[in-house]
Amino acid sequence: MAVTNEVSFALEQPVVVLDGVSMTYSVPTTAREGSDGARRVLQRQSSSIVIALSDVSLVARRGESIGIIGRNGSGKSTLMKLINGRVPPTTGAIYASSRPTLLGVSAALVPDLSGRDNIMLGCLAMGISRAEINRKFDDIVALSGLSDSIDRPIRTYSSGMGARLQFAIATAVEPEILLIDEALNTGDDQFKGQTKAKMDELRSKAGCVFLVSHSLGVIKELCSRVLWLDEGELVMDGRPEDVIKWYRIFTKHLAAGDRVLALKTKRRMVNELRIPAVQALESGRRSSA
Amino acid sequence: MAAESPSTPNSPVTVVPTPVNLRGLTRVGAKPSFPRYLGSLWNYRHFIYFNAKADVQTTNSRDRLGNVWLVLNPILNGLTFYVIFGVLLNVSRGMENFLGFLLIGVFLFQMSSRAILTGSRVIRGNLKIIQAFHFPRAALLIGINLRELLAAVPVIITLLLLILVIPPTEEISWLWLLILPALILQALFNLGVGLILARVVSMVSDVGNVLTFVLRFWMYGSCVMLPITIFEPYPALKGIIELNPLYHLLEIVRTAVLYSELPQWQSWAVLAAWAFGMLGIGIIYFWRGEESYGRDE
Repeated sequence: MAVTNEVSFALEQPVVVLDGVSMTYSVPTTAREGSDGARRVLQRQSSSIVIALSDVSLVARRGESIGIIGRNGSGKSTLMKLINGRVPPTTGAIYASSRPTLLGVSAALVPDLSGRDNIMLGCLAMGISRAEINRKFDDIVALSGLSDSIDRPIRTYSSGMGARLQFAIATAVEPEILLIDEALNTGDDQFKGQTKAKMDELRSKAGCVFLVSHSLGVIKELCSRVLWLDEGELVMDGRPEDVIKWYRIFTKHLAAGDRVLALKTKRRMVNELRIPAVQALESGRRSSA
Repeated sequence: MAAESPSTPNSPVTVVPTPVNLRGLTRVGAKPSFPRYLGSLWNYRHFIYFNAKADVQTTNSRDRLGNVWLVLNPILNGLTFYVIFGVLLNVSRGMENFLGFLLIGVFLFQMSSRAILTGSRVIRGNLKIIQAFHFPRAALLIGINLRELLAAVPVIITLLLLILVIPPTEEISWLWLLILPALILQALFNLGVGLILARVVSMVSDVGNVLTFVLRFWMYGSCVMLPITIFEPYPALKGIIELNPLYHLLEIVRTAVLYSELPQWQSWAVLAAWAFGMLGIGIIYFWRGEESYGRDE
């Protein structure tokens, strides 16, 4: 690959920058030997280290919608949580132009409150003023498609209804950076259409979207760039057609039981990967606290 | 600077030096400066109020008697203590209006212990909201204490009615208005303690288990059901109690309501010093841990 237009890249203002981000979890494991009571109470469980992400660097720019694909446990959700700031990275740092909003599958906010009150609470928690909430309220309800059940406590909602409500609340603020973790897979076809319209609207407003999905069709349709993660490692970072093509080849080998060929494919892609070594032009606020 | 060395030596990973303009970007999850934190708390005042109101609505919403429990709870509590300390143990020897003394103690102490206990559990209790939205977390504690203050209004009215109705009855005087500043100082103190404990419990959740026992000691050390004269033979203990802000809170309210006298300025001084001191320490201590709340372990 030739040296591309890096100068113009550098002049553009990035929205999200990941600088050598790694994440390791210390996971408690249940010890099999020595199960006498006193030792179990006094000693903490033994733990093993799990590498969820290793040394991921990337620069995301305005207007990009980035799909993230990979097998189960490849680190997709961890990456989303890190960008969202829910967990701190073990090493490296993540910079963003504003606080990224994460849309997950966990829907319930305050189960005992009605959908209406949850919209109020959610919007206030995002720092929207009361006047603005009143102005946006009908749009939020319309997007959630819950006008008939908006006064019921949300503990009575189905999980799909809850996910729709959360999507409607989270997009009320028109986040600059939107992280979507499988949220599009819930909901019926009508809602999917509305979601896509909302997503297109958000992207057109110069936002930056990260989307995790197991559906390669959704990724291909919605994304302008795709990351392929495997076992915590960034394998590919490029155009959707290319990445999806090679990912399909990889999973086909795996499905056929040919691990060697699959890993060979993966290695080849990793070797072609060009990792950005982030060099700060401006001092920025690189370290606080 | 990372990614300088490839993770696996046998694969020649291409590292591209990428100049990135980091101006205008902030590290995700970094806490704001202290003045900006205080400012953002003010910006979230509508959230604080709505959250407090929603809490009042939902707390007893699954009980048949609903919010009647706000009043019923301290009455039953006061009755229990009256039966044990007033009737069975007869601690009241020589005290005028022991029931009034006891009711004020139980009602007011319960307000503090509830606010502090709920405050200490605030991070775990609101995990979903904390993980979903990025608001200053201290807003949750202010909400809890605002809610307790709102819930205190019917409780205090009940208390005063009981004192007016149950013999020996007291007369209404302007001094009763002194309850208001005393309650506000109490709420500020509760908020400060809650802020400190919320961070401590979020780091070491075991502390939450110890807290109930500490509060029980604190109750006896606040002269809720026993007059301070009981402690005359132990001057060291009495000295400690005289530094206890909740003891002085009870003193102020009892002096004003039961004895129709102006409370001593020393009591006000101790209570105010604790209230503002704990609030100041609490907000700074809580802010310093702002990045750590609600994180998945």
